[in-house]
Amino acid sequence: MQSVNKISLIAIIVIAFMSITVGCKEPKQAITYRQLYLMGTVIQIKVLDTPSPSIDLAIEEAATRLQEIEDKMSINKDTSEMAVVSQQAGKDKVKVSEDTFFVLQQAVQYGEETQGSFDPTIAPIVKLWGIGTTHAKLPKQEEIEFLLPVVDYKDIWLNPATLEVKLPKKNQAIDLGAIAKGYAADEVKKIFEKHAIQSAFIDIGGNILTIGTKPDGSKWKMGVQNPLEPREEHVGIVSIQDQTLVTSGNYERYFEEDGVRYHHIFDPRTGYPVDNELMSTTIISDMSMDADALSTSVYVMGLTKGKAFIESIEGVEAIFITKDQKIHMTSGAEKIFIITNKEYVNEKR
Amino acid sequence: MKKGDKIMASIVLGMLIVSSLGVFLYRYVQPKDRLIAEVVQEDVVIQTMDLGLVEKMQTMSIVNDKENKNVIQVEPGKIRFVDADCPDQVCVHAGWLTKPGDVAVCLPHKIYIRVLGEKEDVDSTAY
Repeated sequence: MQSVNKISLIAIIVIAFMSITVGCKEPKQAITYRQLYLMGTVIQIKVLDTPSPSIDLAIEEAATRLQEIEDKMSINKDTSEMAVVSQQAGKDKVKVSEDTFFVLQQAVQYGEETQGSFDPTIAPIVKLWGIGTTHAKLPKQEEIEFLLPVVDYKDIWLNPATLEVKLPKKNQAIDLGAIAKGYAADEVKKIFEKHAIQSAFIDIGGNILTIGTKPDGSKWKMGVQNPLEPREEHVGIVSIQDQTLVTSGNYERYFEEDGVRYHHIFDPRTGYPVDNELMSTTIISDMSMDADALSTSVYVMGLTKGKAFIESIEGVEAIFITKDQKIHMTSGAEKIFIITNKEYVNEKR
Repeated sequence: MKKGDKIMASIVLGMLIVSSLGVFLYRYVQPKDRLIAEVVQEDVVIQTMDLGLVEKMQTMSIVNDKENKNVIQVEPGKIRFVDADCPDQVCVHAGWLTKPGDVAVCLPHKIYIRVLGEKEDVDSTAY
Protein backbone atom coordinates (compact mmCIF):
# COMPACT_ATOMS: atom_id res chain seq x y z
CA MET A 1 0.00 0.00 0.00
CA GLN A 2 2.79 2.34 0.89
CA SER A 3 4.64 1.71 -2.38
CA VAL A 4 1.47 2.53 -4.29
CA ASN A 5 1.28 5.86 -2.48
CA LYS A 6 4.91 6.51 -3.27
CA ILE A 7 4.43 5.73 -6.92
CA SER A 8 1.34 7.87 -7.21
CA LEU A 9 3.11 10.69 -5.41
CA ILE A 10 6.01 10.53 -7.84
CA ALA A 11 3.55 10.29 -10.72
CA ILE A 12 1.77 13.43 -9.54
CA ILE A 13 5.06 15.28 -9.25
CA VAL A 14 6.13 14.17 -12.72
CA ILE A 15 2.80 15.11 -14.25
CA ALA A 16 2.92 18.47 -12.50
CA PHE A 17 6.42 18.99 -13.82
CA MET A 18 5.29 18.02 -17.30
CA SER A 19 2.41 20.43 -17.17
CA ILE A 20 4.87 23.19 -16.34
CA THR A 21 7.23 22.36 -19.16
CA VAL A 22 4.77 21.18 -21.76
CA GLY A 23 1.26 22.16 -20.76
CA CYS A 24 1.75 25.86 -20.35
CA LYS A 25 3.86 26.28 -23.41
CA GLU A 26 2.95 29.82 -24.40
CA PRO A 27 1.34 30.05 -27.84
CA LYS A 28 3.85 31.21 -30.41
CA GLN A 29 3.56 34.94 -30.91
CA ALA A 30 1.50 35.55 -34.01
CA ILE A 31 3.25 38.15 -36.05
CA THR A 32 3.13 39.79 -39.46
CA TYR A 33 6.42 41.32 -40.47
CA ARG A 34 7.47 43.44 -43.42
CA GLN A 35 10.71 45.14 -44.31
CA LEU A 36 10.84 47.96 -46.84
CA TYR A 37 13.64 50.01 -48.31
CA LEU A 38 12.23 53.49 -48.64
CA MET A 39 13.02 57.09 -47.72
CA GLY A 40 16.71 56.30 -47.83
CA THR A 41 16.49 53.85 -44.97
CA VAL A 42 15.21 50.49 -43.76
CA ILE A 43 11.61 50.44 -42.65
CA GLN A 44 10.35 47.62 -40.48
CA ILE A 45 6.69 47.04 -39.80
CA LYS A 46 5.60 44.49 -37.21
CA VAL A 47 1.97 43.73 -36.56
CA LEU A 48 1.47 41.43 -33.60
CA ASP A 49 -1.44 39.51 -35.00
CA THR A 50 -1.91 36.44 -37.14
CA PRO A 51 -1.30 37.25 -40.81
CA SER A 52 -4.57 38.04 -42.56
CA PRO A 53 -5.69 39.70 -45.78
CA SER A 54 -6.79 42.81 -43.89
CA ILE A 55 -3.34 43.21 -42.28
CA ASP A 56 -1.68 42.65 -45.65
CA LEU A 57 -3.93 45.32 -47.09
CA ALA A 58 -3.04 47.76 -44.31
CA ILE A 59 0.70 47.15 -44.82
CA GLU A 60 0.31 47.51 -48.60
CA GLU A 61 -1.49 50.80 -48.10
CA ALA A 62 1.22 51.96 -45.68
CA ALA A 63 3.97 51.05 -48.18
CA THR A 64 2.20 53.01 -50.92
CA ARG A 65 1.80 56.00 -48.62
CA LEU A 66 5.49 55.90 -47.61
CA GLN A 67 6.54 55.80 -51.26
CA GLU A 68 4.25 58.74 -51.97
CA ILE A 69 5.77 60.79 -49.13
CA GLU A 70 9.27 59.97 -50.36
CA ASP A 71 8.38 60.96 -53.93
CA LYS A 72 7.02 64.30 -52.78
CA MET A 73 9.48 65.28 -50.08
CA SER A 74 12.86 63.70 -50.77
CA ILE A 75 15.57 66.15 -51.64
CA ASN A 76 17.44 63.33 -53.40
CA LYS A 77 14.85 62.97 -56.12
CA ASP A 78 15.11 65.66 -58.78
CA THR A 79 11.43 65.42 -59.52
CA SER A 80 10.15 65.70 -55.94
CA GLU A 81 8.14 68.75 -54.95
CA MET A 82 10.84 69.69 -52.49
CA ALA A 83 13.53 69.47 -55.17
CA VAL A 84 11.48 71.65 -57.52
CA VAL A 85 10.96 74.27 -54.79
CA SER A 86 14.73 74.34 -54.28
CA GLN A 87 15.43 74.49 -58.03
CA GLN A 88 13.14 77.53 -58.25
CA ALA A 89 14.83 79.31 -55.32
CA GLY A 90 15.30 82.99 -56.09
CA LYS A 91 13.10 82.60 -59.17
CA ASP A 92 9.54 81.48 -58.77
CA LYS A 93 6.89 80.16 -56.44
CA VAL A 94 5.87 76.50 -56.71
CA LYS A 95 2.51 74.91 -56.00
CA VAL A 96 2.83 71.79 -53.85
CA SER A 97 0.50 69.08 -52.53
CA GLU A 98 -1.37 69.45 -49.26
CA ASP A 99 0.93 66.89 -47.63
CA THR A 100 4.09 68.77 -48.48
CA PHE A 101 2.55 72.10 -47.60
CA PHE A 102 1.49 70.79 -44.19
CA VAL A 103 4.95 69.41 -43.40
CA LEU A 104 6.54 72.68 -44.54
CA GLN A 105 4.23 74.68 -42.29
CA GLN A 106 5.14 72.42 -39.39
CA ALA A 107 8.85 72.76 -40.19
CA VAL A 108 8.61 76.55 -40.09
CA GLN A 109 6.70 76.33 -36.82
CA TYR A 110 9.42 74.14 -35.26
CA GLY A 111 11.92 76.72 -36.48
CA GLU A 112 10.01 79.41 -34.60
CA GLU A 113 9.45 77.36 -31.45
CA THR A 114 13.13 76.40 -31.25
CA GLN A 115 14.36 79.86 -32.26
CA GLY A 116 16.17 78.47 -35.24
CA SER A 117 17.77 75.39 -33.66
CA PHE A 118 15.58 73.50 -36.09
CA ASP A 119 16.01 74.88 -39.57
CA PRO A 120 14.92 73.05 -42.73
CA THR A 121 16.82 75.54 -44.91
CA ILE A 122 20.07 73.89 -43.75
CA ALA A 123 19.97 71.93 -47.02
CA PRO A 124 22.79 73.78 -48.87
CA ILE A 125 25.12 73.12 -45.90
CA VAL A 126 24.11 69.43 -45.77
CA LYS A 127 24.87 69.16 -49.48
CA LEU A 128 28.19 70.96 -49.17
CA TRP A 129 29.48 68.52 -46.55
CA GLY A 130 28.04 65.47 -48.33
CA ILE A 131 28.13 63.34 -45.18
CA GLY A 132 26.92 59.82 -45.95
CA THR A 133 27.88 60.13 -49.62
CA THR A 134 31.04 59.20 -51.51
CA HIS A 135 32.08 62.85 -51.75
CA ALA A 136 31.99 63.69 -48.02
CA LYS A 137 34.63 66.29 -47.26
CA LEU A 138 35.63 69.05 -44.88
CA PRO A 139 34.58 72.23 -46.72
CA LYS A 140 36.61 75.42 -46.79
CA GLN A 141 35.57 78.08 -44.28
CA GLU A 142 34.71 80.51 -47.09
CA GLU A 143 32.41 77.95 -48.73
CA ILE A 144 30.45 77.68 -45.48
CA GLU A 145 30.40 81.46 -45.00
CA PHE A 146 29.12 81.88 -48.53
CA LEU A 147 26.12 79.62 -47.89
CA LEU A 148 25.25 80.56 -44.28
CA PRO A 149 23.27 83.69 -45.20
CA VAL A 150 20.73 81.60 -47.13
CA VAL A 151 20.11 79.35 -44.11
CA ASP A 152 17.06 80.95 -42.52
CA TYR A 153 13.68 79.31 -42.12
CA LYS A 154 12.07 82.75 -41.82
CA ASP A 155 12.68 83.23 -45.54
CA ILE A 156 10.30 80.41 -46.49
CA TRP A 157 7.28 82.02 -48.08
CA LEU A 158 4.05 80.04 -47.75
CA ASN A 159 0.63 80.83 -49.13
CA PRO A 160 -1.99 78.55 -47.51
CA ALA A 161 -4.74 79.73 -49.85
CA THR A 162 -2.97 78.51 -52.97
CA LEU A 163 -0.54 75.94 -51.44
CA GLU A 164 2.33 77.87 -53.00
CA VAL A 165 5.88 77.94 -51.65
CA LYS A 166 8.78 80.18 -52.51
CA LEU A 167 12.38 80.46 -51.47
CA PRO A 168 13.36 84.07 -52.17
CA LYS A 169 17.14 83.72 -52.34
CA LYS A 170 19.32 82.01 -54.89
CA ASN A 171 21.01 78.82 -53.57
CA GLN A 172 18.32 78.34 -50.95
CA ALA A 173 16.99 74.83 -50.47
CA ILE A 174 14.87 72.87 -48.03
CA ASP A 175 15.73 69.53 -46.46
CA LEU A 176 12.83 67.88 -44.66
CA GLY A 177 15.05 64.97 -43.57
CA ALA A 178 14.71 65.86 -39.89
CA ILE A 179 10.92 65.74 -39.93
CA ALA A 180 9.64 63.68 -42.89
CA LYS A 181 10.30 60.27 -41.31
CA GLY A 182 8.29 61.31 -38.27
CA TYR A 183 5.47 62.53 -40.46
CA ALA A 184 5.60 59.26 -42.39
CA ALA A 185 5.33 57.21 -39.18
CA ASP A 186 2.29 59.24 -38.09
CA GLU A 187 0.69 58.60 -41.49
CA VAL A 188 1.27 54.85 -41.17
CA LYS A 189 -0.35 55.00 -37.76
CA LYS A 190 -3.45 56.63 -39.27
CA ILE A 191 -3.70 53.85 -41.85
CA PHE A 192 -3.28 51.12 -39.22
CA GLU A 193 -5.91 52.69 -37.00
CA LYS A 194 -8.30 52.82 -39.93
CA HIS A 195 -7.75 49.08 -40.38
CA ALA A 196 -8.33 48.49 -36.64
CA ILE A 197 -4.83 47.16 -36.02
CA GLN A 198 -4.39 47.07 -32.27
CA SER A 199 -0.82 46.04 -31.68
CA ALA A 200 2.02 47.05 -33.98
CA PHE A 201 5.17 49.04 -34.32
CA ILE A 202 6.87 50.83 -37.18
CA ASP A 203 10.58 51.46 -37.27
CA ILE A 204 11.63 53.98 -39.90
CA GLY A 205 15.40 54.00 -39.79
CA GLY A 206 15.50 53.97 -35.99
CA ASN A 207 12.47 56.23 -35.50
CA ILE A 208 10.03 54.02 -33.64
CA LEU A 209 6.30 54.43 -33.34
CA THR A 210 4.12 52.05 -31.35
CA ILE A 211 0.43 51.35 -31.77
CA GLY A 212 -1.41 50.10 -28.71
CA THR A 213 0.31 47.70 -26.35
CA LYS A 214 1.66 44.23 -26.94
CA PRO A 215 -1.09 41.60 -27.26
CA ASP A 216 -0.71 40.61 -23.59
CA GLY A 217 -1.40 44.21 -22.57
CA SER A 218 2.18 44.96 -21.57
CA LYS A 219 4.06 48.01 -22.81
CA TRP A 220 6.55 47.91 -25.64
CA LYS A 221 10.13 47.73 -24.52
CA MET A 222 12.28 49.89 -26.75
CA GLY A 223 16.03 50.24 -26.43
CA VAL A 224 17.92 53.50 -26.66
CA GLN A 225 21.08 53.05 -28.69
CA ASN A 226 24.43 53.07 -26.89
CA PRO A 227 26.25 55.83 -28.82
CA LEU A 228 29.63 54.17 -28.30
CA GLU A 229 28.65 50.68 -29.40
CA PRO A 230 27.59 49.15 -32.69
CA ARG A 231 23.98 49.21 -33.74
CA GLU A 232 21.48 47.36 -31.54
CA GLU A 233 23.44 47.71 -28.29
CA HIS A 234 21.36 49.78 -25.92
CA VAL A 235 22.03 51.81 -22.78
CA GLY A 236 18.56 51.37 -21.40
CA ILE A 237 14.95 50.53 -22.07
CA VAL A 238 11.93 52.78 -22.47
CA SER A 239 8.48 51.28 -21.79
CA ILE A 240 5.82 52.89 -23.93
CA GLN A 241 2.42 52.39 -25.51
CA ASP A 242 0.84 54.43 -28.28
CA GLN A 243 3.92 56.62 -28.26
CA THR A 244 6.92 57.25 -30.38
CA LEU A 245 10.65 57.24 -29.71
CA VAL A 246 13.15 59.08 -31.87
CA THR A 247 16.90 59.39 -31.30
CA SER A 248 19.39 61.74 -32.91
CA GLY A 249 23.06 60.99 -32.45
CA ASN A 250 26.54 61.85 -33.62
CA TYR A 251 27.38 58.21 -34.32
CA GLU A 252 25.19 57.23 -37.21
CA ARG A 253 26.38 59.11 -40.24
CA TYR A 254 29.81 60.67 -40.13
CA PHE A 255 33.23 60.77 -41.67
CA GLU A 256 36.61 61.25 -40.09
CA GLU A 257 39.42 63.49 -41.22
CA ASP A 258 42.68 64.00 -39.33
CA GLY A 259 41.21 62.15 -36.36
CA VAL A 260 38.18 64.43 -36.06
CA ARG A 261 34.69 63.06 -36.49
CA TYR A 262 32.27 65.14 -38.53
CA HIS A 263 28.69 63.96 -38.08
CA HIS A 264 25.44 64.80 -39.82
CA ILE A 265 23.64 67.08 -37.35
CA PHE A 266 24.47 70.67 -38.25
CA ASP A 267 24.25 73.84 -36.26
CA PRO A 268 22.29 76.23 -38.52
CA ARG A 269 24.18 79.16 -37.01
CA THR A 270 27.70 77.93 -37.75
CA GLY A 271 27.30 75.55 -40.69
CA TYR A 272 29.43 72.96 -38.85
CA PRO A 273 28.37 69.72 -37.17
CA VAL A 274 27.08 70.45 -33.68
CA ASP A 275 29.95 70.22 -31.23
CA ASN A 276 28.68 70.18 -27.65
CA GLU A 277 28.59 67.81 -24.65
CA LEU A 278 26.01 65.50 -26.24
CA MET A 279 26.35 62.14 -27.99
CA SER A 280 22.63 61.59 -28.45
CA THR A 281 19.18 62.90 -27.68
CA THR A 282 16.02 60.81 -27.52
CA ILE A 283 12.50 62.19 -27.54
CA ILE A 284 9.38 60.35 -26.39
CA SER A 285 6.06 61.84 -27.47
CA ASP A 286 2.67 61.07 -28.98
CA MET A 287 3.37 62.42 -32.46
CA SER A 288 6.37 61.07 -34.30
CA MET A 289 6.82 64.28 -36.28
CA ASP A 290 7.25 66.16 -32.99
CA ALA A 291 9.76 63.62 -31.73
CA ASP A 292 11.69 63.69 -34.99
CA ALA A 293 11.97 67.50 -35.16
CA LEU A 294 12.60 67.90 -31.44
CA SER A 295 15.36 65.28 -31.18
CA THR A 296 17.36 67.24 -33.75
CA SER A 297 16.43 70.60 -32.18
CA VAL A 298 17.52 69.73 -28.66
CA TYR A 299 20.71 68.13 -29.95
CA VAL A 300 21.52 71.53 -31.48
CA MET A 301 20.45 73.39 -28.30
CA GLY A 302 22.70 71.35 -26.05
CA LEU A 303 21.94 69.74 -22.69
CA THR A 304 20.93 72.63 -20.44
CA LYS A 305 18.82 74.58 -22.89
CA GLY A 306 17.43 71.44 -24.54
CA LYS A 307 16.33 69.88 -21.27
CA ALA A 308 14.64 73.07 -20.07
CA PHE A 309 12.92 73.38 -23.45
CA ILE A 310 11.48 69.84 -23.32
CA GLU A 311 10.40 70.27 -19.68
CA SER A 312 8.30 73.20 -20.88
CA ILE A 313 6.33 71.07 -23.35
CA GLU A 314 3.59 68.90 -21.92
CA GLY A 315 3.47 65.27 -23.03
CA VAL A 316 7.02 65.26 -24.38
CA GLU A 317 9.99 63.70 -22.58
CA ALA A 318 13.68 63.51 -23.37
CA ILE A 319 16.79 61.47 -22.60
CA PHE A 320 20.21 63.05 -23.13
CA ILE A 321 23.43 61.05 -23.29
CA THR A 322 26.60 63.09 -22.83
CA LYS A 323 30.14 62.35 -23.98
CA ASP A 324 31.19 61.58 -20.40
CA GLN A 325 28.63 58.73 -20.43
CA LYS A 326 26.10 60.39 -18.17
CA ILE A 327 22.38 60.23 -18.78
CA HIS A 328 20.15 63.20 -18.11
CA MET A 329 16.37 62.86 -18.25
CA THR A 330 13.32 65.04 -18.03
CA SER A 331 11.12 64.32 -15.00
CA GLY A 332 8.60 62.24 -16.96
CA ALA A 333 11.31 60.15 -18.61
CA GLU A 334 12.55 59.04 -15.17
CA LYS A 335 9.31 57.07 -14.81
CA ILE A 336 9.54 55.11 -18.05
CA PHE A 337 13.26 54.69 -18.73
CA ILE A 338 15.52 52.15 -17.04
CA ILE A 339 19.28 52.29 -17.54
CA THR A 340 20.57 48.77 -18.18
CA ASN A 341 24.18 49.51 -19.07
CA LYS A 342 26.29 50.02 -15.95
CA GLU A 343 28.82 52.14 -17.80
CA TYR A 344 26.22 54.90 -17.92
CA VAL A 345 25.27 56.94 -14.88
CA ASN A 346 21.95 58.61 -14.24
CA GLU A 347 22.84 62.21 -13.59
CA LYS A 348 20.04 63.78 -11.60
CA ARG A 349 20.12 67.47 -11.16
CA MET B 1 -0.75 -3.90 -6.34
CA LYS B 2 0.80 -6.86 -8.08
CA LYS B 3 4.44 -7.12 -9.04
CA GLY B 4 3.57 -6.71 -12.73
CA ASP B 5 1.61 -3.56 -12.01
CA LYS B 6 4.58 -2.15 -10.14
CA ILE B 7 6.88 -2.81 -13.10
CA MET B 8 4.36 -1.28 -15.47
CA ALA B 9 3.97 1.77 -13.21
CA SER B 10 7.76 2.15 -13.03
CA ILE B 11 8.10 1.91 -16.80
CA VAL B 12 5.35 4.46 -17.38
CA LEU B 13 6.86 6.72 -14.75
CA GLY B 14 10.31 6.35 -16.28
CA MET B 15 8.96 7.20 -19.71
CA LEU B 16 7.18 10.24 -18.32
CA ILE B 17 10.36 11.49 -16.69
CA VAL B 18 12.49 10.92 -19.77
CA SER B 19 10.00 12.51 -22.16
CA SER B 20 9.31 15.54 -19.99
CA LEU B 21 13.02 15.98 -19.41
CA GLY B 22 13.53 15.80 -23.17
CA VAL B 23 10.89 18.42 -23.80
CA PHE B 24 12.36 20.58 -21.05
CA LEU B 25 15.84 20.37 -22.53
CA TYR B 26 14.55 20.98 -26.04
CA ARG B 27 12.61 24.06 -25.04
CA TYR B 28 14.92 25.74 -22.62
CA VAL B 29 18.41 24.66 -23.44
CA GLN B 30 18.75 23.76 -27.06
CA PRO B 31 17.37 26.92 -28.74
CA LYS B 32 19.88 29.13 -26.92
CA ASP B 33 22.80 27.10 -28.16
CA ARG B 34 21.99 27.72 -31.78
CA LEU B 35 22.79 30.95 -33.53
CA ILE B 36 21.57 30.87 -37.08
CA ALA B 37 22.71 33.70 -39.31
CA GLU B 38 21.23 34.67 -42.65
CA VAL B 39 22.62 36.75 -45.48
CA VAL B 40 19.76 38.44 -47.34
CA GLN B 41 20.24 40.21 -50.65
CA GLU B 42 17.34 42.03 -52.33
CA ASP B 43 14.93 40.21 -50.00
CA VAL B 44 16.30 36.78 -50.97
CA VAL B 45 18.14 34.63 -48.43
CA ILE B 46 21.38 33.78 -50.21
CA GLN B 47 23.13 32.03 -47.35
CA THR B 48 22.24 30.50 -43.99
CA MET B 49 24.79 29.33 -41.47
CA ASP B 50 24.97 28.06 -37.92
CA LEU B 51 27.39 30.38 -36.14
CA GLY B 52 27.75 27.81 -33.38
CA LEU B 53 29.35 25.41 -35.86
CA VAL B 54 31.88 27.91 -37.18
CA GLU B 55 35.33 26.79 -36.13
CA LYS B 56 37.65 29.30 -37.67
CA MET B 57 37.47 32.76 -39.18
CA GLN B 58 36.13 32.90 -42.72
CA THR B 59 35.40 35.75 -45.06
CA MET B 60 33.23 35.92 -48.12
CA SER B 61 32.78 38.62 -50.70
CA ILE B 62 29.38 39.31 -52.13
CA VAL B 63 29.33 41.28 -55.34
CA ASN B 64 25.98 42.29 -56.79
CA ASP B 65 25.10 42.85 -60.43
CA LYS B 66 26.15 46.51 -60.15
CA GLU B 67 29.67 45.45 -59.05
CA ASN B 68 29.00 46.63 -55.48
CA LYS B 69 30.93 44.64 -52.94
CA ASN B 70 30.32 43.65 -49.32
CA VAL B 71 32.72 41.47 -47.37
CA ILE B 72 31.22 39.34 -44.64
CA GLN B 73 33.30 37.72 -41.93
CA VAL B 74 32.33 34.91 -39.57
CA GLU B 75 34.08 33.69 -36.45
CA PRO B 76 32.83 31.22 -33.86
CA GLY B 77 29.51 32.62 -32.62
CA LYS B 78 29.59 35.87 -34.57
CA ILE B 79 29.22 37.51 -37.96
CA ARG B 80 29.81 41.01 -39.36
CA PHE B 81 30.33 43.16 -42.42
CA VAL B 82 34.08 43.67 -42.33
CA ASP B 83 34.26 45.76 -45.47
CA ALA B 84 32.02 47.36 -48.08
CA ASP B 85 32.47 49.81 -50.91
CA CYS B 86 29.31 51.71 -50.03
CA PRO B 87 29.59 55.43 -49.18
CA ASP B 88 28.10 55.42 -45.69
CA GLN B 89 29.75 52.34 -44.11
CA VAL B 90 26.76 51.95 -41.77
CA CYS B 91 26.91 48.17 -42.20
CA VAL B 92 30.57 48.04 -41.18
CA HIS B 93 29.97 50.35 -38.21
CA ALA B 94 27.31 47.95 -36.97
CA GLY B 95 30.12 45.63 -35.86
CA TRP B 96 29.76 42.03 -34.74
CA LEU B 97 26.36 40.39 -34.53
CA THR B 98 26.36 37.95 -31.66
CA LYS B 99 22.81 37.63 -30.33
CA PRO B 100 19.43 36.57 -31.69
CA GLY B 101 17.73 39.55 -33.33
CA ASP B 102 20.98 41.34 -34.16
CA VAL B 103 20.99 42.80 -37.64
CA ALA B 104 23.34 44.85 -39.84
CA VAL B 105 22.08 46.46 -43.01
CA CYS B 106 23.86 47.82 -46.07
CA LEU B 107 21.15 50.02 -47.50
CA PRO B 108 22.92 51.20 -50.67
CA HIS B 109 23.53 47.59 -51.75
CA LYS B 110 20.25 46.21 -50.41
CA ILE B 111 21.93 43.47 -48.42
CA TYR B 112 21.70 42.63 -44.75
CA ILE B 113 22.84 40.00 -42.31
CA ARG B 114 20.88 38.94 -39.27
CA VAL B 115 20.90 36.43 -36.48
CA LEU B 116 17.57 34.64 -36.35
CA GLY B 117 15.41 34.76 -33.27
CA GLU B 118 13.79 37.37 -31.13
CA LYS B 119 15.66 39.79 -28.96
CA GLU B 120 15.33 38.83 -25.35
CA ASP B 121 14.96 42.16 -23.65
CA VAL B 122 13.69 44.74 -26.14
CA ASP B 123 11.22 44.85 -29.03
CA SER B 124 13.42 47.22 -31.02
CA THR B 125 16.06 49.92 -30.57
CA ALA B 126 15.87 53.62 -31.48
CA TYR B 127 19.04 54.99 -33.03
